[in-house]
Amino acid sequence: MDDFFFSLLLAGVSVGAVYALIALGLNLTFWTTKTLNFGQGSLMMLCAMLTVWLSSQGIAVALAVLGSLVVVAALGMFIERWTVRPALKASSGSMGWVVSTLGFGIFLQGMAAKYFGSQAMAFPDVIFSAQDYVTLFGQFVSLQYLVVLAVAVALILALELFVRKTVWGQAVQAVSLDPELALVQGIPVRRLVLGSFMLSSVLAGVAGVLIAQIGGTVDPAFGFDLVLLGFVAAVLGGMGSSFGALAGGLVVGILSKLVGGYVSTAAEHGIAFALLMLALAVRPQGLFGRPEVSKA
Amino acid sequence: MLELRGVTVRYGAVQALEDLSLRAEAGGITAILGANGAGKSSLMRAVSGIAPVVAGSVRLDGQDITSLPAPARAKLGIAHAMEGRRLFRQLTVEDNLKLAWSFGARRVALSASLAEVYDRFPILKEKARIPAGLLSGGQQQMVILSCTTIRSPRCLLLDEPSLGLAPIIVQQIYGFITDYAARSGITVVIAEQMAMLALKVSRHCLVLRRGRVVLQGPSDELRQGSDGKALAASYL
Repeated sequence: MDDFFFSLLLAGVSVGAVYALIALGLNLTFWTTKTLNFGQGSLMMLCAMLTVWLSSQGIAVALAVLGSLVVVAALGMFIERWTVRPALKASSGSMGWVVSTLGFGIFLQGMAAKYFGSQAMAFPDVIFSAQDYVTLFGQFVSLQYLVVLAVAVALILALELFVRKTVWGQAVQAVSLDPELALVQGIPVRRLVLGSFMLSSVLAGVAGVLIAQIGGTVDPAFGFDLVLLGFVAAVLGGMGSSFGALAGGLVVGILSKLVGGYVSTAAEHGIAFALLMLALAVRPQGLFGRPEVSKA
Repeated sequence: MLELRGVTVRYGAVQALEDLSLRAEAGGITAILGANGAGKSSLMRAVSGIAPVVAGSVRLDGQDITSLPAPARAKLGIAHAMEGRRLFRQLTVEDNLKLAWSFGARRVALSASLAEVYDRFPILKEKARIPAGLLSGGQQQMVILSCTTIRSPRCLLLDEPSLGLAPIIVQQIYGFITDYAARSGITVVIAEQMAMLALKVSRHCLVLRRGRVVLQGPSDELRQGSDGKALAASYL
């Protein structure tokens, strides 16, 4: 295999796995409320920035990551309570949450720029340094890429198992299918919604730390276009499907890296959105979207 | 025993129930009659906690539950089979039953509860792994009823269980309901448009019109007595 092609493929798989994580986070809130948290990008950034800041204060990197994830989870609760719930309450079927979640994201970005500065900060080595390699098919492969891929796949499998095999996972499915019926059946819908926003934010935080680890730096603007690529991955794979998120993420990651390598890096993001438009035109339910099951 | 005192339900500017009071005793069926839009569903939704009650109170066995959210009421033992054959269509029959059991009172073990349902409706055992939305109307109604009884409820609300079903299926469904009501001794409230059917199975009956009670009394009196005329009039 061509070395250049292989390295592009690997980079694509690795960033694709991160897009998949972001898509998974978007799916979670979509399941429970049919809304997406477009402030996810800022949560990714904030989690990575907080990690940098905490570790610069002399806290062990692993603890810094953990602490940042806790902060981000709390922000997820805040977002549900103060940006999504009021927007949904105003009128059902309103799209106000698009503006309110995005707005909160921009606010976080502004705060980060004010307190951490808008300069890119070097991200610490969480597990492996950029110099750690293994040999795979006669190629040098960065261990970081493999760790990112493994973490993403493990989280996706765990979430899929949770949804399919546990009572609470079934309850989440029930809420996504018919929230009112879930309520009268005694499912604590409120708590599940809150939980989904927290978990979604944690996934965004993990994605942020992973991608900062690959890129090596973070700045306040980081994460904004990433969440859009995660959105493309989610739609491409089928909104709400976990394996769809993984497949969509990998397709977007690999294709954009290949286009970036062989055509132009400027076209990397363009191709992702071209893909989105193509998907919406040809297969709007996405690769793994489930068609409605019903009998008249 | 279920008790409503002066309950008013309002959706925005639309008043669905006005100053409605009722007592449904345990150990028998209470029927709610009325035409479309009379407020039957709103009454049930007010009890299960998904309708905006702006005045009055709802009591279950003497306990005021007016301010409790729907899941808490379900936990206390209110089981509501909503109108329009509501079930989780994409989930399998068995997953629907398991879910209902999981968030119910869990007084009987899951395997025993499922066995009881399948014993009562053998067809559901055959279809256990099929998405519930693909079943026939009658079978869906069996799943919905089983989802309420599998919770071991204290108060059962059934919203038009006969709607859109063939007469023979209606008979089977009502056979199950009367049997269950007699066996369990809990409070059962049925909203129904088929007046004669509802009067036959129920002990007490209320007729609603435009969100108010226009007629009530023991069902056999309403069926035979001179009230029959009033009953007919309330539908016009």
